[in-house]
Amino acid sequence: MKTKIFTSILTFSTLVFSLSAHAHDPKEHMQNAEKPDCAAMKNMDNSKMDMNDPVMQAMMEQCAQDSHKDQKSESNYDDHSTKDKSMKHNM
Amino acid sequence: MSARRFLSCGKSLLIAAGIAIIAGVAFLYSGLYPMGADVPHNALTYWGLETLRERSILRAASDVDVPKDLDISTRLLRGGADYNDMCVSCHLSPNKKQSDLSLGLYPSPPNLSLNNDEDGHGTHGDEIYTQQRHFWIIKHGIKASGMPAWGVGHDDERIWDMVAFLKRLPALSSEQYQILTARGESSSGY
Repeated sequence: MKTKIFTSILTFSTLVFSLSAHAHDPKEHMQNAEKPDCAAMKNMDNSKMDMNDPVMQAMMEQCAQDSHKDQKSESNYDDHSTKDKSMKHNM
Repeated sequence: MSARRFLSCGKSLLIAAGIAIIAGVAFLYSGLYPMGADVPHNALTYWGLETLRERSILRAASDVDVPKDLDISTRLLRGGADYNDMCVSCHLSPNKKQSDLSLGLYPSPPNLSLNNDEDGHGTHGDEIYTQQRHFWIIKHGIKASGMPAWGVGHDDERIWDMVAFLKRLPALSSEQYQILTARGESSSGY
């Protein structure tokens, strides 16, 4: 009887331990993550940029997503400010 | 007569080997060897450990199949973000020339933002072997060196992404490094 209890406790604790062992989750780093400094791309020498270079493609991809996000947030801000203004006008 | 000579020679060798083993064990137990990371190995120990490491990695990594699509942008973005999270504190970057870990670890971790020739760890032959070697080391780690086995929690594809990033890292500028490794909300990394 004691052996059974001991075995089940051991099995349960092993199961809990193995389930808690996750791989490093990138979401852990999202809060402290830096945004890509895409403004720096504007200062780069265009004549030396090779658009077929995977590094260049990766940078464009990274910054394209970033600018889309910025545009979205700007348009959201515009929407909000327009709404606020219209609300103020209505008041 | 020659048989007797052979026997006595064999005996002498056995006795010498026995003495060497006893002396070696006595040295191990004496505690005389300096184990602090701030005292370098003597040249013989360093050569022995380095040879052991390199020969072992060469044997184990030679069979690793390198993916043909290493040189693509998505791999660079995924691998870059992981490198910045997991490796940069020891292996440095164009923005980081030294750290407490890079200064304090022994053997010192190679500066992977430099070319093989510059990082003080020499070249490793052809490009394919360099990639096999990087993959194997990231996946399995290296005993008693501070290099962990990332393969325990990371799948092979994710490790190959880091290998892809390492391939391009020495040629990156500070600005390029920052953009490729940033893991903002918009990042397409993992």
